[in-house]
Amino acid sequence: MNINNDITNDIKFLAKSEIRLKILSELYNEPNNIQGLVKQTKITYSSVSNNVGKLEKNNYIKKINNKYYVNPMAKVYFKSLMDFKSSIDMINDYNDFWDKHNLKQLSTDSIKNITDLKNSTLVEATPIEIFKTHNTIKRQMQESKTVKAIFPYLHPEYPKLIENVLKNKGTVELIIPQSIFKEMIFRINGKTRRKAIKKGKLRVYNFKENLNLYLTICDRNIGLSLFKTDGSFDQNRILISNDLKSYKWAEKVFDNIKQQVI
Amino acid sequence: MTSTQTRQELTKEFQGIKYILTSGMRSKLLLTIYEHPKNLDDLRTELEKPSATILHGLKELETNNLIRKVNKYYELTSNGYLITTNMVKLIENWYSVNKSKLFWNNHDLSDIPEDVLKNIYLLKDARYVNSTTSDLSNAFNAYIKLISRAKQLKIMLPIYSENHFKHLIQILNKKQFKSLELVINEEIRDAMQKNDYLSKSILENEKVKIKCISRKIRIFLTFSEEFASLTLFFKDGHYDDSQILIAHDKNSIKWAVNLYSYF
Repeated sequence: MNINNDITNDIKFLAKSEIRLKILSELYNEPNNIQGLVKQTKITYSSVSNNVGKLEKNNYIKKINNKYYVNPMAKVYFKSLMDFKSSIDMINDYNDFWDKHNLKQLSTDSIKNITDLKNSTLVEATPIEIFKTHNTIKRQMQESKTVKAIFPYLHPEYPKLIENVLKNKGTVELIIPQSIFKEMIFRINGKTRRKAIKKGKLRVYNFKENLNLYLTICDRNIGLSLFKTDGSFDQNRILISNDLKSYKWAEKVFDNIKQQVI
Repeated sequence: MTSTQTRQELTKEFQGIKYILTSGMRSKLLLTIYEHPKNLDDLRTELEKPSATILHGLKELETNNLIRKVNKYYELTSNGYLITTNMVKLIENWYSVNKSKLFWNNHDLSDIPEDVLKNIYLLKDARYVNSTTSDLSNAFNAYIKLISRAKQLKIMLPIYSENHFKHLIQILNKKQFKSLELVINEEIRDAMQKNDYLSKSILENEKVKIKCISRKIRIFLTFSEEFASLTLFFKDGHYDDSQILIAHDKNSIKWAVNLYSYF
């Protein structure tokens, strides 16, 4: 990547000073004057006025009728800087989930929008409940009318769980590796399966290569699990989320991998 | 003096970005290794810095679990990959805006949802066309040229403009043109309905699907499978027909689709 020096210097100008960032974030929420900023941020008058001057000189803010406003462009800059900040928070907050895990199955765009998952909960297995992650998914599948999932391995309970969704007139869409295809599909009751396939209620995509990702999209939650870099599946951690953004994110991941199959 | 507590709180709040973004060495190392794993020689040539400086940076990044050394080659850890990909996004966002500085800074962006603004990096290959004093309708002409070649269009139209309607009708009359999806607000639809000609040739045209919304929008977005274009309003509320952003690449179209999906 060609690093544009002007841009990195501009970014540095903002990132370097917490005071400037704080002032921008205040003005982003509400235009204000120096007195008001001092009151809100508890930073001294001289610091505020000095940095407001620098921000104004660099065209980030503008004074209109005694109040400072963030310029439209600077708003985008500031937002993307804060987005970067929350991506770092996101990585640190779920460090155990990401660290030493394989991310190759996720597209660059999915990684660039990782903050869409920031309201997730990390469910981890405990010595008292070693099947906590599996049970979480199981419950979700039992309560779900529609299930979309990427299953990189076969859990013996999956065929039954899918069968039940279909019996309740639900819809299931699966991406699974070829190696477990037969085992998964033929363990679903033949009559239920054939009827569902005919009605388009069961769609299964056969992934030719290895799948390094586990994803479920159920009615109430989405769930994401990863493989470790040593190649083993991390069955002790699953990231669960239920907000709109994470659904959109998960749907994109699903569609993206589906595109590679069809 | 700003109190120590305030200072500490501020430092803590912005610690993460500061660590990565304020050291040129750290950010450059991450970006260089992001391309593919490098050994010390590669890094020395690329960054034009002495070994000692580079090794110092590498050591720090290694301690923070952002890179690791495998057989003399430095590569990103999964955390390093996540952070660097997002840093690339930040730089690309910045680049996209910077490239069309006048366009973004002159206009009212408040109708563009935050999540769409945050992904402005998708517009990095977009080109900005400005009208000049010698050619006042440069932007408009560029727009007409774009849409007249399309087979299907989706448009968010925030203005009542006879000039635009005239060209749209011409396009709709073409045999090869398939479909037009139009997002307009009630006020504009009502005005169009008062005009028999517009009613017949646009609103009631079978190639046209109208989506009517109650709120006013200050975004003029057009896209097809081949291109995307955007014009905006001045901060004082007036429509600006002198500047247009045009793109033909996939990512820009993706951005447009995403923006459109909010309305």
